[in-house]
Amino acid sequence: MAVKRWIVPSIFFVFLSGLALVLLGQNLLWKRVYRQPEQPIAFSHEIHVGKLNLKCTTCHTTVEKSIRAGVPAVATCMSCHKAVAADRPQVQKLREFWEKKEPIPWEKIHNLPPHVYFSHKRHIQAGIDCATCHGEVRVMPEIRQVRSLKMGWCVDCHRAKAAPLDCYTCHK
Amino acid sequence: MRRRDFIKLLGVASSASVATSCGLTPENSQKLIPYLVPPDREIIPGKGMFLSTTCTECPVHCGISVQVRDKVIQNRHRQVPIKIEGLPGHPINDGRLCIRGQAALHRLYHAERFKQPMRREGDGQFAPISWEEAYQVILQHMAKVKSDQRKIGYLSGRTTGALAELMDSFCTHVGVEKLPEYEPLFPASVVNASFALFGRKELPEYRIDRCDFLLSVGADLLETFGNPVQNSRRIAAQRKKGTFRWVHLEPHVSLTGLNATQRLTPKPDSEWAVIAYLLQRVHQSGRAKKTLPGSVLQEVPQLSIEKVEELTGIPKEKLQHLEESFFASDRPLTIAGGVSTASQNGAFLAALTGLLQWATGQVGATVDYTTAVDYSSVGSAAAMESWLKELDQGRIGVLFISRCNPVGTAPQSWQLHHRLKKADLVVGLADLPDETTALCDIILPVSHSLESWGEVSPRKDVASVLQPVLDPIYETRTEGDILLDLYRLELGAAETVDYREYVQKRWRKASSSRDLPTLMQQGYYSVSAEKRPVRLRETRAANLLRSARPQEKTEAAIVYFPPSLRFYDGRSRRLPLLQEIPDPLSSVSYGRWIAVSVATAKRLGIRDRDELRLGIGEWETQIAARIQPGLPEGVFVVYRDQLDAYPVHHLNPAGEPLSFLSGARLEKTGARVALPILSGSTSDHERGIIAHFKEEKESKHEPQVQMYEPHEHKVYRWAMAIDLEACTGCSACVAACYQENNIPLVGKEEHVRGREMAWIRIEPYYTGEEAEFLPMMCQQCDNAPCEPVCPVYATYHNPEGLNAQIYNRCVGTRYCSNNCPYKARRFNWFDHEWPEPLSWGLNPDVSLRNRGVMEKCTFCVHRIRSAKDAARDEDRLVLDGEVVPACAQTCPADAIVFGNLLDPESRVAKLARSGRAYHVLEELNTQPAVTYLSPHKKEGE
Repeated sequence: MAVKRWIVPSIFFVFLSGLALVLLGQNLLWKRVYRQPEQPIAFSHEIHVGKLNLKCTTCHTTVEKSIRAGVPAVATCMSCHKAVAADRPQVQKLREFWEKKEPIPWEKIHNLPPHVYFSHKRHIQAGIDCATCHGEVRVMPEIRQVRSLKMGWCVDCHRAKAAPLDCYTCHK
Repeated sequence: MRRRDFIKLLGVASSASVATSCGLTPENSQKLIPYLVPPDREIIPGKGMFLSTTCTECPVHCGISVQVRDKVIQNRHRQVPIKIEGLPGHPINDGRLCIRGQAALHRLYHAERFKQPMRREGDGQFAPISWEEAYQVILQHMAKVKSDQRKIGYLSGRTTGALAELMDSFCTHVGVEKLPEYEPLFPASVVNASFALFGRKELPEYRIDRCDFLLSVGADLLETFGNPVQNSRRIAAQRKKGTFRWVHLEPHVSLTGLNATQRLTPKPDSEWAVIAYLLQRVHQSGRAKKTLPGSVLQEVPQLSIEKVEELTGIPKEKLQHLEESFFASDRPLTIAGGVSTASQNGAFLAALTGLLQWATGQVGATVDYTTAVDYSSVGSAAAMESWLKELDQGRIGVLFISRCNPVGTAPQSWQLHHRLKKADLVVGLADLPDETTALCDIILPVSHSLESWGEVSPRKDVASVLQPVLDPIYETRTEGDILLDLYRLELGAAETVDYREYVQKRWRKASSSRDLPTLMQQGYYSVSAEKRPVRLRETRAANLLRSARPQEKTEAAIVYFPPSLRFYDGRSRRLPLLQEIPDPLSSVSYGRWIAVSVATAKRLGIRDRDELRLGIGEWETQIAARIQPGLPEGVFVVYRDQLDAYPVHHLNPAGEPLSFLSGARLEKTGARVALPILSGSTSDHERGIIAHFKEEKESKHEPQVQMYEPHEHKVYRWAMAIDLEACTGCSACVAACYQENNIPLVGKEEHVRGREMAWIRIEPYYTGEEAEFLPMMCQQCDNAPCEPVCPVYATYHNPEGLNAQIYNRCVGTRYCSNNCPYKARRFNWFDHEWPEPLSWGLNPDVSLRNRGVMEKCTFCVHRIRSAKDAARDEDRLVLDGEVVPACAQTCPADAIVFGNLLDPESRVAKLARSGRAYHVLEELNTQPAVTYLSPHKKEGE
């Protein structure tokens, strides 16, 4: 029988809206699964890296010589903030930690399972930019995870760059 | 499309995407804790810092290098030790460490450590008190005792160096009597003989590295006598030369004896006859380098070889052979000690040995007094008699007991259970509870040596340095600080020097040429010791021989109580790791057992694990049997640390407690004991697992048909070579592996089921009365039987020759373990707990395995990874000797060699090509990466 006029457009419409729903669902699910926990201080990389142009290694000092990038000591933050922006509420929170001699309990965002060996040093020395895995931190008011960090994702890049693919490279 | 199909499609599409995004959940997240202030020394996360200090698990005091890592514990950064290695270059051990030293972290992190001072209440229970309170109580009692004209006594274990000086000063100024130091394994007969003959209250250094013929009588050189780590090293090195022979005489069976070239079994307490015979023959044949004076010689019994045979039970031919070897050697060395000198005739034996050393020119050559160990402050059991009597009379009001366990280890004649009650106050300075602390009134918790500053004197020419590698975990203090506190409180002194300053002041004075940090990194400094030549004291020698005349008696049903390799005199028995590692001779891990000879077992119908009632005099105990090949009939062995109290009363003429009791009554109770015996069989059933070296190269097996493609190795092919001639079975490698790889302790029940967890194990193989010890771990086979059978490909062969086990992929089928002919794979049947603070000692480079996962030796792949990382930083390949697995690093005999087989100049490649190389179970064509070097056959009985 002859196809009615409204059939094809409505299929398109339904298909596209279905696709939109799926994508929206995935986005919301991603945001739910990778939701960042609340940080003790709302530290903004946007201000420090985006506006003030601090280099990553100013605070994450051990990234070129160690497996871990590290977070700066509270004294490092205080070196500026004992004077700078002392009236802002987040900076006041920082000073409280310093006065109470309590290290700031940051929530770790980029977590790898405990059986994985990952060396920041090796990747930096291979010329990989921080943003490749951590995203454009300079525009993030709140740091969040933007890559899955799953094994498949790592292996893809290792394949593309002819890096070692042996299991013992990363599985400890 | 119908509406339903469309909705189904939508459901599938979205659920698929949901499924793939289910992975990382916020539960994975951890905290990131920064420093408050960056540390002075830059800490590279993931890299260990190595601090030099000294091991105090036994009085040998080896130098150690402790790996410290930065960890976040209870939301704070802490530097904590995770692994101990021997300190390279240290004069005592030169980079190697024994099984007890490797397990020392289990003492530091022990759950039952005293956390603060305790006081015994009226009902007998201990209640915690503060340091100030404890000091108050002590000082009050001291004041009262002094006013009553009674004494205050200080009994400690062997004390040297800075603490000895402080203790002397403390005792003098505060009015405390320093009692003779108490060491249960003090070789009183040997030191007494050394004193009488040569005027030295010292144990000389036995230069096995300078001798070509070693005759040891009873001395357990590889277990507890002298410096076991160095003895192993030197014996292994001498063996490599090929012209070295070692004859060991012992009335029972020990690890030392089983490793000797020839082991002879004299009747108990008859060993003196052999030495007397040799001494007499030396003079008769005119071979004496320094003839003994007549007054001394006349006290040496004149024995015919037949008489010696009669007394000792050693056949004439063997005695003659011994005599010939002894005379043929250029630089002989004779050592007496252990159970042979801790016997009625042991004082005589020690004296004769000293004279033999003198007469054959060993003194000054292979018996070195310039690097001796000073024992002048240690008292024999007899020397303790006077203060024990005073204690009994109530004349000692306050007694300090520090770093020793007399209640658990002293001879019965001390009657401490009864006598300690006579003192007003007994103060125990200890780290772990034991039989003595149970009877103390106040317990002062002493910091572990890894938490302390200090300086000890392992030899009179060496001062070994201690520095803390972590802040004290609990509210403990070092003994030095306790003494200084008491001193300050008692005398009201204003100055507040602490023990750290006291020790550092000594160092500054002693080594003005070097700065402190360099000294502390070196771990020791040399002390000038007197070098005046040794002279023989005729009269005293003759008197000693006269006073210690031997008794010719036949003892029957003798039970020896020697110290053990794993627990020393019992002090290390509380360390859980050492209980988990089996005793190499019997392969028993947990529990107590009596070693029974093959003949006795046959006669009485005793099987392994039968419960026996053992009675000697009034003392009785029930204990499981374990058959020990090599033990003569009528001789039994129970390690002394397996008993709560030492059952011996009697002291020999040198004041040393006997090491055995005779007249034992043994009968089966009919019960069976669940004794964990880990080795399946004590024999290799002629499978060639131990392939003895023959002069001609053995014909190899026919080349096998290869079913699989051979592996291609490009740059590295990791392999290991183990020299069975050097391996003594000491199990230091096993302890090191446990510590390095976070191997959990599974406990007695699992061991009874045969579910051991050690990645490397020592397998004893007996042929008749001789034994060989085989370290067995994953052979990393090229044709691994375990690889093709894994259904999930969790184990595979990596491009560098390792058999890789990927833990998170493993589903626990256990087919791989089933297929492994070496039974080197270990399964985690349970989730394991790592209670704090033991969890602090975990190695962050090695994953923790949970339930359902198979694990095995990885050739320390994390060490390989970090060596490759360091090499990559410097743009080069890994050099030979850069990668050292934990087992190879600690082996005192240097029996394990690791390296790259593709490098023809590497040590391992050369050894793998040598004439002695073979593989275990070669006929299975597994093509292992571990090559064993066959030992020479021992000259049996």
